[in-house]
This record gives sequence, C-alpha cells and structure tokens, in this order.
Amino acid sequence: MRYALTRIARFVFVFVIVTFLVMLATRIGSKDPIRDLAGGQVSPEVMAKVEADYPYIEKCEGALAYLPCMGKQYAAWTFDMVRGEMGYSYAQEQTVGEMFKQRGPATFWVGFWAIIIGLLIAIPVGVYSAYKRDSLFDRFMSFGSFATLSTPQLVVAVFLLYAVASRFDFFPNLWNYVAPWSSPVDHFKNFFLPSLTLGIGLGAVWSRLLRADMIMTLQSDFINLARAKGVSPNRVLWVHALRSSVLSLITSVALQLSGLVSGAVVAEQFFGVGGVGGRLVIAVQQNDILIIQAITAVVVAVVVIVNVGVDLLYAVVDPRIRQARALG
Amino acid sequence: MARAPKRPNRFLTVGSILSLVWLGGIALLAFIPNDWLPFMREADQRVRIGRNYAYGPGVDFWMGSDRLGRDVFARNIYGGRISLSVAMFSIAVGLTLGGILGLMAGYIKGKVDTVINVLLDVLLSFPALILAILVVGRLDVLEINRFWSVMMVLSLLSIAPIARIVRAQTLSLSERDFVLAARSLGASKWRILAKEILPNLVPAMTTVAFTGVAVLMVAEGGLAFLGYSVESPTSSWGKLISENRERIDTAWWATIFPSLMLFATVLAFNIIGDRFARRFDIREAAL
Repeated sequence: MRYALTRIARFVFVFVIVTFLVMLATRIGSKDPIRDLAGGQVSPEVMAKVEADYPYIEKCEGALAYLPCMGKQYAAWTFDMVRGEMGYSYAQEQTVGEMFKQRGPATFWVGFWAIIIGLLIAIPVGVYSAYKRDSLFDRFMSFGSFATLSTPQLVVAVFLLYAVASRFDFFPNLWNYVAPWSSPVDHFKNFFLPSLTLGIGLGAVWSRLLRADMIMTLQSDFINLARAKGVSPNRVLWVHALRSSVLSLITSVALQLSGLVSGAVVAEQFFGVGGVGGRLVIAVQQNDILIIQAITAVVVAVVVIVNVGVDLLYAVVDPRIRQARALG
Repeated sequence: MARAPKRPNRFLTVGSILSLVWLGGIALLAFIPNDWLPFMREADQRVRIGRNYAYGPGVDFWMGSDRLGRDVFARNIYGGRISLSVAMFSIAVGLTLGGILGLMAGYIKGKVDTVINVLLDVLLSFPALILAILVVGRLDVLEINRFWSVMMVLSLLSIAPIARIVRAQTLSLSERDFVLAARSLGASKWRILAKEILPNLVPAMTTVAFTGVAVLMVAEGGLAFLGYSVESPTSSWGKLISENRERIDTAWWATIFPSLMLFATVLAFNIIGDRFARRFDIREAAL
C-alpha cells in the first residue's frame, strides 16, 4: 500500500511539472498570450471578450515576478480543468471539450486497433518462434521483426499508401469519423491503414519480447511438470506457458503507449484521419494555448495513468515482485 | 530440444558489412563538397524540362525529377546530409549530457539520484513527437533557425533514455569487485569514476550511439513530415516524403526513393548497433 501511494504521489508530481512546463512553453516568446488565444489579428471587441472570459491569462514580466505570476495562472487553469472546463479555442470556435468529443474517438480507434493488430501478429509469431527455437521459421521471423523494427512508421505508411491505397479505391481519405457500430465496413476503411501502420511495428516489438520470455518460461519446472502429466503440447504452449508470459507483454503494451501516441500523430496526418494529433499540430502553429495545454495534459495523463496502473497491477498479480519491492 | 552449436560471435557478418558499406557510401556522397561530384546536380537546381515530375528514374535523372524539375537523386543525397548530421550531432549531445546525468545519478545516488530521476520521468512522460513539435514550435517564435532547433529538440529527446541506461550501468558497475578493489587501494571518487567506471561504459555507449542515431533519424522523419523540420528549399528524407506524397500514384519515385534511403540507413545503423550489442553482450542498451 505504501508502495502504491509513493508511486502515485511521484507521478502526480511529475504530471504537475509537465503540465506547468507546457504552460510555460506556450507563454515563452509570446508577445501577448491573450492575442494568441483570441487567434491572432482580431477586432478589439473580440479581444475584450477573450480578456473577460479568461481574466487570469496575462503576460508575465520581471525576473522576480515571473514564476509567481505563472504559478497563479497555472492554479487558475488547474481549477478550470478540475471543474471540467477545459477552455475555448477562439481560433477554431469550439470548446476543447467539443474538440475532444469530435476528434478523440478517431485517435482512440487508431491506437486501439493498432494494439489489436500488434497482438494478433505478436502472439502467434512469438509463441511459435519460442516453441520452434532456432528453426528456419524462427530465424526468418527474427530477421523479419528486426527489419520491421527498423522501418520508420513514415516509411511503412508510404509503402501502404503506394501498395494499397493508391491501387484500390477501397481506402478513401475519409475525414469524417465513422463509429464501428454505425457502419463496420466504413469504419474498417477508415482505420485499417493507419492502424496497420502502427500495428506492424508493435507486432515486431512484442513478438521479440514474447519470444524471449516464452523461451525462459518453457524451460521452467512447471512446464516440465505439465508435460510429464501428459497435458497436450498445444495446451502447454498456449495456456500454461503463454499465461505466465502475458504479464511482460502487458507491461510492454503500457511502455509502448507513449511511442504509440507519437506514431498516431504521424499516421493520422498521413492517412487523413481527423484525430486529436492533427489539431495539436495546428494548435502549435497558431499557439492556441488552451488547446495545447488541454491536449498535452490529457495525453500525458493517459500515458502516466496507464503506466502506474500496470506497475501496480504487476505488483498485485505477481507476489514475487511485491515481495522484492517490499524488501528493496 | 537440441541446440545448434553456437556460432562464433563475430562482429563482421554479411549484414554488418553491407551496412558499413551503405553508410560509408551515403556519408561519402553526402559530405563531400558538391564540386567534387560532377555527376550530381545541385539540390535546388531546377531543370525546366523536368518540371511536373516529367522524368521517371533513368539516365537523365537517376531517381526522376520532382514538381519543380529538381533532381530527386541530388535532393536525396543533400537531404541525407541534413538527416545524418542532425541525428549524429544530437546523439553526441545526448551522450554527453545524458552520460553526465546518468553517471551522477548512478554514482552519487541519494538526493541527486532522486532529483535526476524526477527530471527524467518528466522528459519521458511526454510522447516524443509531441514534445518535439511543442519545442520546435516555440523556438520558431524566438526566430531560431530550424536546423538548430531540430538539433536542440532531438538532443533533448535523447538525453533521458541515455541517462537511464548510463545510470543502470553505473549502479551495477559501482558494486563490482574491481571498483571495490580500487576503493580499498585508496583511489579517489574521481579516479574511480574516470579510470574504472567510464571505460567500462564505452561498449554500451557505442551501441547506444548507433541505435540512437537510428531512432533520431526516424524522429526527424516524423517531424519533417508534420512540417516541423528544416525549411524549404533545404530537404531531408522525411521532408521529401511529405513534399511528394500527394503524387505517389503517378510519380512514385519522388516518394519511394527517400523512403528507401531512410529505411536502409536506419536499418544499417540498427544492424551495426545490434552487432555491437551482441559482441559486448549488452542487453539493456535499447533506446
């Protein structure tokens, strides 16, 4: 319990520093944050309205007053966030909440299907390579996954675009998002290529990881015991051995999440999925400060929460780790 | 299961030799002054008849021409100059700063370790690309040349993972017997750091340097694609891809060739890094 609390406290601390730094970043070099928020050249009335809406945003000056002034703005912003008011983008004329509602699902599905595709590749390949270690299949897959790992997502996307999208009309650039339950076929058209772009790389990482872990597992006593008891080889492999290797796979899913977000930004832009990443890119160009702050806060929060969650889950599921950490 | 006899752990294999040749060739072409390469056009030399992707790969334009009639081969080579130099410079900065931080955290321990760890957590909690576009976007406002701002941001990105690796290695090295021996002989802290620990970090750092360059080149590609890398007319591989992607169905050469260059170079760096890792038996050096 104490372990859990210190982990959580530390990550909350990191989260606060990160979001504060992002806020600093949106202000540095900005001549007038309010004008940035209002969306550049606008009439004085609009400026007055923005100022009235967000009285706490101001330009901080002076070496001594700078940090306290930023701190005050940070506190006000956090207060708004906690109340669920993530702010308004005057440049895009929508609230940040609406933006997330509109674009969040697309980003979510790209990531979700990428993870599914990654696992669909990794589990059979990893398990079978470990079982037939050093066989032709294993060697081939090990080289294949190494080459895949070394392929930048951008390059995967180019090849998919060239080999698939530009040949067949099946994958149009659809900017409007389609939910899987409203039309599965359109949803597939929408998300298959971007998810595959990310999923291939994930599959390569995870199959290598799973292979290494399974090789260790297959040598342990309980596997020998199961074999000796006459459990069928398939059951030993897919149930007994896989179950104990799944933990490290889960950890890796969490560890890859941050990289997945980076990849998703590129894949979204490449295949024209109107997701959150595209908005962030535009927001940075316009210095749309509330959008930048909200998106980074949400992304960092998701990454951090998943990582802490897996860390704690790990300690709960595997008593050995709990004990090791209690001793350490 | 019968295990095949272990092959001797040589550094030079077919893969690593091919990688070295490829990297050497690219580096030669990219870093030799233009005047010495009579067969190559200038990077932004516009040939009137080559406009609108008029030429495919062939004798006149080895890798075809692009929208403005520029030679895709020349642009690829000069683009490689940017991609390579940005990534290599950044990894050098990352190794220096990350190395210092990691050594401090791993060797001094205590409060220093905690502070550095929180700092690294902060850096690592950002998805890399998001941190990169934020920082490059900000440096634009301060009117810093994109070439330098990309280098700065890639250096920043490489610090945290490297520091983590150095820290872990330093921690394990500082408990080894030879360090204890040196200490019991009365060696000072600095002497142990410089003469015992630092030399033993070199293998891991060599590996990290190669795999790290690969990772950073990928990152630069992503940044360039999103429009956050060097400004036109300067090119980099990622930028070439994003410039010509719209026309991929008719003028495939302008997109596919830079993709292949990026892929082959990243693969080559990874293969060499992997050979080093196996040679020195390092496992924890993946970025």
